[in-house]
Amino acid sequence: MPESILSVTLRSLYVSSTAAFIAFASALALSAILARVPRRRAEMALGVFEALVGVPTTVIGLFVYMLLHPHSPLGFTRLLYTPIAIIIGQFFVALPMAFTSMFRPFYELRESVKELVLSLGCSEKLATKVLLGELAPVLTSSYLLAFSRAIGELGVALMVGGGIEGYTSVLTTAIAVRTSIGDYEVAIQIGLILLCITISLALMLKALGERVLWR
Amino acid sequence: MEVELVNVWHSYDGFTYALKDVNLAFKGPGVYVLIGPNGSGKTTLLKVLSLIIRPSRGEVALNGAKFWSLDERERSSLRSSVVYVHDKPILVRGSVKYNLELGLRLRGVNVDRAVLEHYVERYGLKDVEDKPATRLSSGQAKLVSMVRGLLLRPRLLALDEPFTFLDSARASLLVEDLIEVARGGGVVVIATHYMHKELRGCSRQVIELVDGEVASRREA
Repeated sequence: MPESILSVTLRSLYVSSTAAFIAFASALALSAILARVPRRRAEMALGVFEALVGVPTTVIGLFVYMLLHPHSPLGFTRLLYTPIAIIIGQFFVALPMAFTSMFRPFYELRESVKELVLSLGCSEKLATKVLLGELAPVLTSSYLLAFSRAIGELGVALMVGGGIEGYTSVLTTAIAVRTSIGDYEVAIQIGLILLCITISLALMLKALGERVLWR
Repeated sequence: MEVELVNVWHSYDGFTYALKDVNLAFKGPGVYVLIGPNGSGKTTLLKVLSLIIRPSRGEVALNGAKFWSLDERERSSLRSSVVYVHDKPILVRGSVKYNLELGLRLRGVNVDRAVLEHYVERYGLKDVEDKPATRLSSGQAKLVSMVRGLLLRPRLLALDEPFTFLDSARASLLVEDLIEVARGGGVVVIATHYMHKELRGCSRQVIELVDGEVASRREA
């Protein structure tokens, strides 16, 4: 019996939201580190990540495949063709997107917020709190971009996940498999679900940005 | 409060100096006016005085204590009595009210609603207090940053070009409030590129800064 669309959708959401969250947290940490280096060097690092945004997901898939293959240094982990392998791959897919969307505002706001906090006679330590508050909309959209990039990619999910039904099948691999066997009706249904997820998430986060994050 | 700058030099790039061997003492309460052309080092001097910038060389002493030689706890304690209001207001995301209360919130101090209302009414900010701070006019933004500073009741209040974008009525109100701070024992230092009519008659001392050096200093 073929796996239900709901099950594939839930797995997709779990895998991509986890990968996007790890990518988002890493991008935030990286931004905090690079915000301390001179602007010129920071811009160079940003340029590298901007270039990485365009790297095909199949290349990233190949890289993760080589990393997790049984005869590779990390082969003993036996992670290839598991949901964790897809999470690792999608992390590399989402990281450049998360980083490039948050770094410049992070860099520019950090100095002004620090100066604001000091000008109000407060300790510099409070600057981080104010900075995160200031960056909330940027961080929200950064996570959204990372998630959209992760959930919408096919290369990694297929190469290191294998699209195994009931185990590693996610929305994009399910579309590819269904199309290849001529089951266009289900493929279109899954495509529409994917579209609904990304659009509704974007709208939800926008509403959150306007209401909940308002102060 | 007494503030003293001793042999203060400051450079942003290590080559050119924005401040050159500045020796100034602000002894006792009053309104001090720092005057000078653009690029004379007024903003840098105010930021050094307000403990935002650590000078490349020299000392900043508050009530006799060399600030940058103190430990973190002592610095925090002294810093809480100093407020600097920027030339270009830095407002954060959120409503005008949130911005007005920001300094108090960061310090963990309860907002005195009556005092806040007094300033909001006085400067005509009532209609905009719930609006996003980013949608304010330049003058309104300036007023918000001024009131935010006044609410903190500083002992040393440094203002960079405070009258820019303000109409004469609000500029006069601001001068009244600054005199009030001085009467309460505070030191008010105003940097401006020309002597505004509002400042004539209320300043204790006028310090002229040219090319990073104190060119003259006269009692008003």
